[in-house]
Formats: sequence, structure tokens, C-alpha cells
Amino acid sequence: MPLLLRRIWHAAPIATVTLGVALAISVFFAVRLVAFWIYWADPAHRDQGIEGWMTPGYVAYSWDVPRAVTFDALDLPQRSGAPVTLADLAQARGVPVAALSADLRAAIAAHRGDGGAP
Amino acid sequence: MSESLFALVSDWGPVLIFASAYLSCLAVPIPTSLMMLSGGAFVASGDLLLWQVVAAALTGAILGDQTGYLIGRHGAAPLVAHVARSPKRRAALARARALVDRRGGVGVFFSTWLVAPLGPWVNFIAGTTGLSWRRFSVWDVLGETIWVSVYVGLGFGFASRIEAVADLLGNAVGLLAGLALAGAMALWIRGALQAREANRNGAG
Repeated sequence: MPLLLRRIWHAAPIATVTLGVALAISVFFAVRLVAFWIYWADPAHRDQGIEGWMTPGYVAYSWDVPRAVTFDALDLPQRSGAPVTLADLAQARGVPVAALSADLRAAIAAHRGDGGAP
Repeated sequence: MSESLFALVSDWGPVLIFASAYLSCLAVPIPTSLMMLSGGAFVASGDLLLWQVVAAALTGAILGDQTGYLIGRHGAAPLVAHVARSPKRRAALARARALVDRRGGVGVFFSTWLVAPLGPWVNFIAGTTGLSWRRFSVWDVLGETIWVSVYVGLGFGFASRIEAVADLLGNAVGLLAGLALAGAMALWIRGALQAREANRNGAG
């Protein structure tokens, strides 16, 4: 094996180094791919929580409730074109994201309890 | 990391997607694929408009590729002239150009979507080696259309599991690009070994 390596090193040094780097990159991403695959295959990680980057519309979509439920829970007018994230909303109102998230969960639970959703 | 990126996309929408698509086609390391994924997810959630996300990503990517091609074509001209001083080298360059013009379109096509991290470099090379502009543009637009449709489509289709899709796809693309580069280097080494062998036989 070292002999082969020496032969290709003498024939094409730049390509040999690049090949080594490319293989290292491939292994790096392969390991990460497997790790993330295992992580996301775990049912405990499947449900997305309510997080700061999400918009009220996104929460409604991913929790499968009408948009009115999340927008009403946050006292927001339902308009399109200017989405706002929960993090921005929390900052503007001076409350933690967790408070908005709790309001949303309560509203979603109430909506589902009313039999409004299957 | 991907979460702050999702937040940026919902704040800035198509403008951000356009700018990042343009810059990433010029080898600026910006995760445009992730932005298109999240753009698709925010279309599904009713926050962004589909045509705006697609138009922004597509025009940004195509303009970025054109810029890279033009930089390769005009910026590298002195370098190419320098290399092609001797008649022997000029002949080799002419052969290389003929090969790129015949086969280069397919390379451009795949480098825009399947092995997207290699895209910017392929654009520079295509411009430098003189792939005809028309051929470059046709393959490029086809490839970018696939790139944008796949990512925005996946974001739209898997909107409620966007974090998982982003993690898996990002690493899968990195793996593919690494393997493609390794394959190209293997071809290069094989060529160099054959050339040495031929030299030795010729000399002996």
C-alpha cells in the first residue's frame, strides 16, 4: 500500500493531496449523516416543539390547526406578506418566548378539545 | 444553527434567498439550500408566496452562475494567454477546450444541483476554458431549475419536519460532493500514471 501511495504521489502530488482531503470530507459527512439519521429516527425527537424561529402560521401548519387558532391566541391580525417570528414578537412585547409558546399550546389544546379538529 | 437561519428567512424572505443564491454561486459559503428548504416550508405555512421564493432563488442562482462564468472568461484571460505561449501548449489548450465544449455542458448541469458545492468552481472553469456561452446557459438554467424545485419542493412537502430534512440533506450533499471530488482526483491520478508509463516506454 505505501508503495502504491508513493507511486501516485510521484505521478500527481496535487491530485493525491486533494484525493486525501476529498476522502476525509466524505467520511466526515457520512458520519454526520448516520448520526443525524439515528437522531431523527428516534420518535422522541420527531415532534417539533414551539420555538422562537417559528411564525404563528408555521405553528398552525405543523400542529395541524387552522391559522385563526394561533393568530387569535397571540392577538395578531391575520395578514400575509409580513411574517413575524415568535422570537421577534416576544421581544416586541417584552415577554419570554416560553410565555407565547404556553399561550399557543393552551389555544391548540382548547381547539382540539372543542372537537374543532379531528 | 439552522434555526437562526429559518428565522432570517421568515424575516427577510425572497430578498435574502435571492442574495444568498447569487453569492453562493460565486463560492461564498452561504447555506442557500437550507434557505430554499425553509422558504418552501414558509410557503406551506402561508408566510411566503411560492412564486416569489422560486423566482428569487432561480434568478439569484442564474445571475450568480453567469457572473462566475464571465469572471472565468475575462478575468482569467491573461493567465490563459500566459500558459499558451508555446505552440505545444496552445495545441493542448485547444484540445482541452474542444473537450470542455463537447462534454462540459453535462458537467455544468450536474454541478448546479446534484453536487452543488462544486458548482461555482465549474462555472469559473467553464468560463476559463471557453465553453460556449449559449451551451453553458442552457445547461445551467436546466440544472438550476432542478436545484430550486427540489429544495423548495422538499421544504414545502416536509414543512412540519423541516429541521430533520435540513440536517439529513445538508450532510448527504456534502458526502456526494466529497465523493465526486474524490472520483475526479482518481481519474486525474490514473491519467498521470498512464502518462508516466507511456513516457517511460517511449524513453526506454
